[in-house]
Amino acid sequence: MSAAIVEARGVTKAFPMPAGPVVAVRDLSLAVPAGDYVAVCGPSGCGKSTLLHLLGCVETPTAGTLLLEGRDVSELPDAERSAIRLAKVGFVFQRFFLLPMLTAWENVELPAAEAGVSRGERRRRTGELLDYVGLAHRAHHRPSQLSGGEAQRVAVARALANRPRLLLADEPTGELDQATGRQIVALFDRVHGDGTTVVVVTHDPAIASHTPRTLFMRDGRIESEERAG
Amino acid sequence: MRVWAFALRSLVRQPGRASLGVLGIAGVGALLFDMLMLSRGLVVSLQEVLDSAGFDVRVMATDVPFGGPPVTGARAAAAAIAALPEVAEVVPVAFGRARAAGPDGRVLHAGFMGVETGARRPWTLLAGDDLAAPRPGPPSLVVNRNLAEALGVSPGGAATLRADCSRGASALPPARFRVAGIVDFPFDEAAGLSAAARLEDFRHACGLDELDEAQLLLVASREGHGPAAAVRAIREARKDLHAFTNEELVARFQEVGFSYFRQISTVLSTVTLVFAFLLITVLLTVSVNQRFAEIAALRALGFSRKRVVQDVLCQSALLVGAGGALSLPLGLALSTWLDAILRAMPEIPASFRFFVFEPRALGLHLALLAVTAVLAALYPMRLVAGLPIAATLRDEAVT
Repeated sequence: MSAAIVEARGVTKAFPMPAGPVVAVRDLSLAVPAGDYVAVCGPSGCGKSTLLHLLGCVETPTAGTLLLEGRDVSELPDAERSAIRLAKVGFVFQRFFLLPMLTAWENVELPAAEAGVSRGERRRRTGELLDYVGLAHRAHHRPSQLSGGEAQRVAVARALANRPRLLLADEPTGELDQATGRQIVALFDRVHGDGTTVVVVTHDPAIASHTPRTLFMRDGRIESEERAG
Repeated sequence: MRVWAFALRSLVRQPGRASLGVLGIAGVGALLFDMLMLSRGLVVSLQEVLDSAGFDVRVMATDVPFGGPPVTGARAAAAAIAALPEVAEVVPVAFGRARAAGPDGRVLHAGFMGVETGARRPWTLLAGDDLAAPRPGPPSLVVNRNLAEALGVSPGGAATLRADCSRGASALPPARFRVAGIVDFPFDEAAGLSAAARLEDFRHACGLDELDEAQLLLVASREGHGPAAAVRAIREARKDLHAFTNEELVARFQEVGFSYFRQISTVLSTVTLVFAFLLITVLLTVSVNQRFAEIAALRALGFSRKRVVQDVLCQSALLVGAGGALSLPLGLALSTWLDAILRAMPEIPASFRFFVFEPRALGLHLALLAVTAVLAALYPMRLVAGLPIAATLRDEAVT
């Protein structure tokens, strides 16, 4: 396994609340090497999503250090963290969050356009990605015309638009039936197989059984870790 | 996808709401445009009418435009002013009223004006001849088209007027005139009856042969000097008189007579802008509130705060741009209608316009709409800028 693409060192994340701060992630240390495929499991409210948001530079830690490709991103200003997310991190959400006024093609093309990728290159990449997720024939359909599974595949393609080194997914099968969920899991397997580091937060045992590494969280901490093989 | 294209797509995803927003802004913008045209409409219109008469300086006995006592010793005053090198011509003018009997026996009340004839006339000849130098027979008279029709006369015909010039005897004998021509008086009301004669004939008809007075001296400045120089020279030569350029006269009217329109225009412009502001703010705030999760997702994907804020600002600009573009023809059509209503009021010269298009009104309209677009977008922009990405995504996942 190569060097850590993302690493948390003693990271704590607390949210200020009127009744006192709520600690979602507590003194957590974790290294995710490049090429790793990690499932994060645990009961609701254990801090899985917050950990994902910390790893993806959406949140900044209250304490501790977060390194992305060796660079300390713990206290970067918002604009720099946005730029990092755009270039290096892909996100897949439980509810897809495709833009309803755009076609599948336009949704996939959007992050590359935002990153300033040339028109020709965007067209090439978008075509390849839709083909990759098996939806080239649905390129000009809007999200409302897609099934849940198709929409999530488009969301995966969108997350890969800027060729991120790290793909983060938060309950990506949470809105899907079992059969469709299996297709998405297979897609993540493929993305990982093609060299992208994948971290998936999930309740779905089907995903956890596919990943070579599974973290179990409780009360903001990693309670245990399992490695396949 | 470029910022503008993205904003447009965001806006038209709710076509009904976007259309209503654009129509609302078009309506409000039309009113704003009309109020801006109204704010200076009468001023511009008065300036045009004054300029059209061919005289660029007015001399009166007081500094109250058209409302004070007459200039006494009008002949000497006119001669003194005419002798100034800055002055090309001086025309004393006296005003009175006259009655005439129509063909059906109906009494017609007309405005009656006496003018010292020179090269210029404060009217436009439409048919026949202008006032002629004294010659045997009845003195010549010019009438407006309304009076010619009411009297049933044409150039060369005869008209009998009974003048009433207030200072003269109240029971003056009727004076017989030869109608030389039909003219257009710039200050005539739409249905007004007017006539003009040479000053000497006017005084005679009024029974004021010995009274050397004029309400007004119309002055044309000499080419190369201009009205301002002429006014300076007149003020220097005749300190007892008050000379004004057309611009100064208009400014005086603006201070006194037209300030109501300016105040109404200011109040209504402010109200329309507040409505536009509220309309856009509500539309954008509702839109942003409905899209919180999407915006948070875009932010998570790497869209910068600046970028999502720009999107809201562009949406505001598009709403206002489309509504503002529609507001121009709508405002012009509305102003035509309103102008017709206001001009039907009594004692309003037919050539006056309450709503006058000026490039500065258009520029101000666009600038005010642009400022409104920015101000109205501030609150929704603030909402978007301060959107907590993770918390919004979490809330969305829970709900």
